[in-house]
Amino acid sequence: MATTTQDAAKVGAQVGRSVQRLESREKVTGRAEYTHTMRLPNMLHAKMFRSTVAHGRIKSIDTSAAKKVPGVLHVITIDDVMKVIPNPYYGPAFHDQPILAHEKVRFVGEPVAVVLAADPHVAEEAAQLITAEYEELPPVFDEVDALTSKVYVHDELKPAGTFADLKHLKDAKNTNMALDYRLRKGDVDKAFAGAAHVFEHEFKTQKVLHLSFEPHATIADYRDTGVTLYTASQGPSFVRTEIARLLGWPENKVRIKVPFLGSGYGSKLYIKLEALALALSMIARRPVKVALTFEEMFYQITKHPCTFRIKSGLDKDGRIVARKCEVFWNGGAYADIGPRVTQKSGLTATGPYEIDNVSIDSYALYTNVTPAGALRGFGVPQLVWAYEGHTDMIARALKMDPVAFRRKNLLREGRPHATGTILKDAATEKVLDKLVERMNWSQPFDNGSGTVKRGRGLGIAIKAVITPTTSVAIVNVSGDGSVTLYCGTSDMGQGSDTAMAQMVGEVLNIPTESVRVTPRDTDVTPYDMGTLGSRSLFHMGHAVQRAAEHARDQLKALAREVGEPENSNTPIRELFVKRYGMQAGNVIGTGVFKPDYVPPAPGTGLSDNVTAFWMISGAGAEVEVDTETGHVKVTRLVNVLDIGKAINPQVVESQISGAASMQIGFTMFEKMHLDGGQVTNASLADYKIPGFHDIPPMENITVDTYQSNGPFGAKGVGEVATFCVSPAIANAIDDAVGVRLMELPLNPETVFRAIRAKAGQPLGDE
Amino acid sequence: MTPFELAEPTSLKEAIKLLDPDDPTIRPVGGGTALMLMMKAGVFKPVKLISLRRIENSYSTIAATGDGLRIGAMTTLAALERSADVKKAAPLITRTLKTLSNIRVRNVATVGGALAHGDPHMDLPPVLMALGATLTVMGPKGERKLAVEDLFAGYYETVLDKDELIAEAHVPAHGTKKAAYMKVTTGSADDWPALGVAVVLEGDAGGIKSARIVASAATDKATRLKSAEAALIGGKVDDTLLAKVGDAAADEAEYIADVRGSISYKRELMRVYVRRAVRAALEGAK
Amino acid sequence: MSATKTISFTLNGAPVTADVKPHHNLVELLQGQFGLTGARETCGQGLCGCCTVIVDGLAVSGCLYLAAFLNDGAEVSTVEGLDTPAKLSPVQEAFVETAAFQCGYCTPGFILMVGQLLDEHPDPDDDQIKHYLTGNLCRCATYPQVMEAVRLAAKKRKAGAAA
Repeated sequence: MATTTQDAAKVGAQVGRSVQRLESREKVTGRAEYTHTMRLPNMLHAKMFRSTVAHGRIKSIDTSAAKKVPGVLHVITIDDVMKVIPNPYYGPAFHDQPILAHEKVRFVGEPVAVVLAADPHVAEEAAQLITAEYEELPPVFDEVDALTSKVYVHDELKPAGTFADLKHLKDAKNTNMALDYRLRKGDVDKAFAGAAHVFEHEFKTQKVLHLSFEPHATIADYRDTGVTLYTASQGPSFVRTEIARLLGWPENKVRIKVPFLGSGYGSKLYIKLEALALALSMIARRPVKVALTFEEMFYQITKHPCTFRIKSGLDKDGRIVARKCEVFWNGGAYADIGPRVTQKSGLTATGPYEIDNVSIDSYALYTNVTPAGALRGFGVPQLVWAYEGHTDMIARALKMDPVAFRRKNLLREGRPHATGTILKDAATEKVLDKLVERMNWSQPFDNGSGTVKRGRGLGIAIKAVITPTTSVAIVNVSGDGSVTLYCGTSDMGQGSDTAMAQMVGEVLNIPTESVRVTPRDTDVTPYDMGTLGSRSLFHMGHAVQRAAEHARDQLKALAREVGEPENSNTPIRELFVKRYGMQAGNVIGTGVFKPDYVPPAPGTGLSDNVTAFWMISGAGAEVEVDTETGHVKVTRLVNVLDIGKAINPQVVESQISGAASMQIGFTMFEKMHLDGGQVTNASLADYKIPGFHDIPPMENITVDTYQSNGPFGAKGVGEVATFCVSPAIANAIDDAVGVRLMELPLNPETVFRAIRAKAGQPLGDE
Repeated sequence: MTPFELAEPTSLKEAIKLLDPDDPTIRPVGGGTALMLMMKAGVFKPVKLISLRRIENSYSTIAATGDGLRIGAMTTLAALERSADVKKAAPLITRTLKTLSNIRVRNVATVGGALAHGDPHMDLPPVLMALGATLTVMGPKGERKLAVEDLFAGYYETVLDKDELIAEAHVPAHGTKKAAYMKVTTGSADDWPALGVAVVLEGDAGGIKSARIVASAATDKATRLKSAEAALIGGKVDDTLLAKVGDAAADEAEYIADVRGSISYKRELMRVYVRRAVRAALEGAK
Repeated sequence: MSATKTISFTLNGAPVTADVKPHHNLVELLQGQFGLTGARETCGQGLCGCCTVIVDGLAVSGCLYLAAFLNDGAEVSTVEGLDTPAKLSPVQEAFVETAAFQCGYCTPGFILMVGQLLDEHPDPDDDQIKHYLTGNLCRCATYPQVMEAVRLAAKKRKAGAAA
């Protein structure tokens, strides 16, 4: 491949170079391997029969007609599963999710039975012949209702035991609450009592989902001596731990292999189809593939809908003196990682502002809908939607410029965050300054005329990374001097393989392109907590850097041992030849990283070291609103981010524009429509995502920063451009037409209804 | 998709014989792009499909006739889009096809399928209806003529018998008429329309002599809006007249609510977009 | 069960024969009988473009195209037919150099459609690019980079033709 940047492959300066992705050739030739298109010899296909009721007790399941279909080998219910896995419940926070529905169904679309056949069409035909009878129970759908409802999704809560803040929920009954996170700082009640102004608002976000273009897929190949799972997973190490637990086996008998992911965005975290595939392979004693269709992704995992009640007290000068946040997370029928979303985002619910008196309550709630998990931001986009709308509304009410109001209250470097942790390497001021400059904020703005009105708006946000988590890496230098990296980070398009190889190249002084990154395989790749929450570049990056340094130090020792002078440029192969008499041997470098951390104090949630690093971003939008129809056109989107040092600027650019564009979809039109718990638009025909014509003109700017505790000054970048897009656009719409939208998405009908309501001519409810 | 049989007759007559007026599990398939969606969703489980892809080639051709176009029902939408004859005689069709679904679908989907499927969201039916197109329909008893305007019976329903097939469409040339089609989406830009409005007019801003205004997508079937047409005839086309036309259209149409909008909202879209479509037709759409 | 029929056609330039069931689509045929996984079924509705295949010179959605629709003698091309061990096609090179993909799942469909686009419009403007690719979706939203890739590919093709 003759290309210009390829020629730039050279020793030194690997970090900071726009290296072409190492897997480029595989991806553009269609030969990259993904689980969804993999096949094993003798493999069976699984098709699921799913619940049609939102909440009910299973009275009976009739599989007789399905069993009679020629070609059907097994029709499996939870009773069959429990013969091979007696306790069939799994999950990262709670062991609450059964491999197939057990006694109860808790959402429409929950898997109830499975057909296995060699021909997937036969399995599909048979699955359509299964019927079930349910004793229907009243459902609970809304997250605020769920807190006080007498309808309980689970009879008893079963914390997994992994997280300390869930222990008090063990065996809890008569509750839908899967976590009650709280933070208390100062005296909120007193501060509100003395405030000159008090503002209280309620914001909501809708149910949306990841829609990775490679739908979830797992192939399990169970043998009596061990099991291998090929799976589209963002966390092979966790899958191994959980599969070993379900089997009662040591982890070394469980092998998890993860090829490239056709993206994830959080949908393939922790454990998804793996436990089911395992059980099916155990029963069939053959490899079994469970691969979802596009429609089935609507019944697997979604983003959390959220209700956020936010209340602020201000002094007469416009300083925020108190803020009270109540956040309700709609977690769906199974907790998945919802409790961590609830806590880890919850702690930044007051935003990038310095406020002396703070109260945060953040509730993870069970409901009778598809479970919710992390989606590109780990809850933070839902919070920013609320607090940056709230911020603008206050500024507007106080007749203050929204930028001046933010500057007055901004949390600055060296000042304490609500948790008590001092802000460090978090460029709130730089980001806001750059955003204001790029938006020409000080210049007058043309608000349009006639039926097309124009407006502008902005927002700024903060996120803490999930802390503390662990990563381990191995760098293997072979006898010929070639270098292989073993790390468990799943490359799902974020370019992690390439970035990690750049770090190895930087330390060992070799071209990035010469480093091979082994596909994830828990038999050889060491532990990693998971590819999530923008943690990998920082955590795994550290581990990789340490492993490479460890290898480098051993190579130096080897050189000394064979009598080479200090800093000689003898090729590595020759060192091995001198040492072993031939091309032989290895140098193995290992690296482990776990950041320092102080757990939040019980009761107050305070900690002086709550996060390994902070993420800061801002966004500004200019819009045109068609006042006759409510159509909003985003004519300009400016994203300003603090990402530390960019390891690969070209990949960073596509991560930023990609994240912001994804959030455009969540902002403007994406929404799962539910009717009685039933998804009514479970297809790409009716659930639209952004295409070419939906992407606004975009400017992406990274401010000049260096993460002092990061590997080569870097920190995570995958999520940070999502945070502010929604409130920036809503604030711009308010500027254009004077209406305030409190719930996403900002689709034309929603905008039009608000315009008509403001004009005193509300649109009918037909 | 569950298993089925496929018959591949080589003539239209043979295809008609293979259809059964009383058996809904046997259906004809042209390009299959719409039918496959129903089969994949499990909404339609055929026992047998009758493929029309190998019938006489003449049903895949376009010909300029003295007063317009003869379009074989198996003509793909892409062939229609690229036809110089179509661009000359009925440029509104050429313009409409550019934003209809996507290129891969247009390469395979057929004119006959787009009509016979009865899906109110499709763009071609309202355009053909506004142009006053007619169809030749073949059945066991021979052929009959049917105006596109009379084809649709309801949501995904046509007046065709289960053993009748559309053989050709006949489209009168625009001549001096002015035409526009406007598609309104409320999701992504490439969404199915929440509303489609096709307008074909004779006359100019000084006064309209005849008008055909057709709405689709917001309604359960492509529908002519005759009171809006009547309101447009005669007077000078100004804001006052257009407001009356928009109001007439909004009041006249019957709407369906779905994920693309409520009835109340679609009524307002109708009010605005009928106005805009008339104006676009008069100004000469690009 | 339904009857199987045998079709002889050309796949990426090589003559092949396949046994096809009526309910199999083109993606299943390519994956199941030829081990070609570049065309992938994602949305299953012809909307995302991941399953793009070229049949007799025209792009089709392999997920909506019954394999039985192939005529004897049909010419079928997939992304796997574009490169040689020594060289990528100009469109593929352009995608690599502009980093016009992230997860890569939709990439083969984009690359085939860009090939069609440049056959039809060797020097496309932005509107033509967007219009032509409107039926190809990328959930990673690598759209700005794809725009760049198309412009670069157009240049590469012209340079290749001139050379």
